[in-house]
Amino acid sequence: MPEIASAPQTPEGGTPIVGPDPIYLRDPLLDATVRMVVELTAQLWVERERRIALEARLTEAGVLPAAGAADHWQPSAELAARIKQERDRLVDDVFKELRRIPATAVSQD
Amino acid sequence: MSPTATTAVLPDLARRDDAAYLDFVEGFREYILGKGADFEDRLDAQARAEAGRRGQAWTDLEELRAYLQRFPLTRMRDRLVRTQQEMKWHRLARSYSDRRMELEAELARWDHQGPGKLLLDPAFKVPDYANVEFHLQPGGYYHDALSGFLYHYGTKVFFRGGNDQDELHGALVGRVPPPADGRVRRVLDMACSVGQSSTAFKRRYPQAEVTGIDYAAPMLRVAHRRAAMAGLDVTFAQRLVEKTGFPDAHFDITFAFIVFHELPVRIIQETVREAARVTRPGGRFIVYDFTESAIKSPYQLYHRWFDARHNGEPYSQDFCDCNLDAVLASNGFVVDADVEAQRSGGAGYMKHWFATRA
Repeated sequence: MPEIASAPQTPEGGTPIVGPDPIYLRDPLLDATVRMVVELTAQLWVERERRIALEARLTEAGVLPAAGAADHWQPSAELAARIKQERDRLVDDVFKELRRIPATAVSQD
Repeated sequence: MSPTATTAVLPDLARRDDAAYLDFVEGFREYILGKGADFEDRLDAQARAEAGRRGQAWTDLEELRAYLQRFPLTRMRDRLVRTQQEMKWHRLARSYSDRRMELEAELARWDHQGPGKLLLDPAFKVPDYANVEFHLQPGGYYHDALSGFLYHYGTKVFFRGGNDQDELHGALVGRVPPPADGRVRRVLDMACSVGQSSTAFKRRYPQAEVTGIDYAAPMLRVAHRRAAMAGLDVTFAQRLVEKTGFPDAHFDITFAFIVFHELPVRIIQETVREAARVTRPGGRFIVYDFTESAIKSPYQLYHRWFDARHNGEPYSQDFCDCNLDAVLASNGFVVDADVEAQRSGGAGYMKHWFATRA
């Protein structure tokens, strides 16, 4: 498969670096779609992480935090570990499909 | 933003959401490069099986690339590896840029504050070979005043939180065998970036004079700030690894941590020659870098090619093919036979060269 042509950017020998926005999936629409899915998942995680933090904070304090208070709040070690676990679960929920791509499949084109 | 956020060793990002976003990238990266997506084992098995059918190992990188890229699995891997790197830098650069004025002021506050010294050269010319956005870092190592902070946070994501207290650098420096006579009066950290190895050496050898050199002023400023904040007397100077300017036989230990794969072969040879000049007889020259192509698995060979071309590592392939052992030997170094082959997260990507100046 030929790569998308781009001007070498390497200043002195070496492996020529691809230009911006290389295409990996043969169709730029597919590349864009995958990028958007990953970005959406990241954005979803940001919201979920904040919700976890807010819930914990509310539980601890019994009151709503002031605007921006969560920016400086640090979870306990126990909660930090739970947040990591939640994150890994979200990643697997969305991207477990990667394991369904058969290693032996070859494109028809 | 509170003063605490600015004055932390690794300054806080502008918003909690930025930290959460980068935490996602960290976990996602682990997923796609580890057992989650399981790309490595499956693609390596495919390549090994094909080599078995052909009755010969992969020696032609272009053939291996063409073979593996027939598989949608490979192309999806490539897409995602590239994407997570782009996401990391985009969010990180935006977040620190939102705090640019206070972060630049914070750097300036430490420039002339000890312990230790920061020696920048206003007339310094960064060589052309360095004009690369290594690892896709926007602005590379020296075009942005905040490059050092960007790099440091970027490596935090790369090491998945396992190096937040310089644990990796401390462990690597801890393994460095001292010269046979035990004398360690001066240590040189070549291409020290943000100075994590330099400070680890100072902690190990408090009486020694430790110097870190790099071509990138933004890295050196962060290195100096980190060391001074820790109360460590380390000198950071803007110099080239291939032309350090130090006297002959000046150092007892010369250290090069993941440096050579970011240099053209011509500069690698010059740098080893320079290390031989500044390391005293019986002194140690320690290199930690990528394993050579000859001992890589098929997947690792492919990954190296991808990293070179698609992750801003243009010199890494040539480094892996350059036979560093021979370069060291031809410059008067004797390399220990029992090199440690190791890698965080799996075997086979990184190794040590423990060399002694004859």
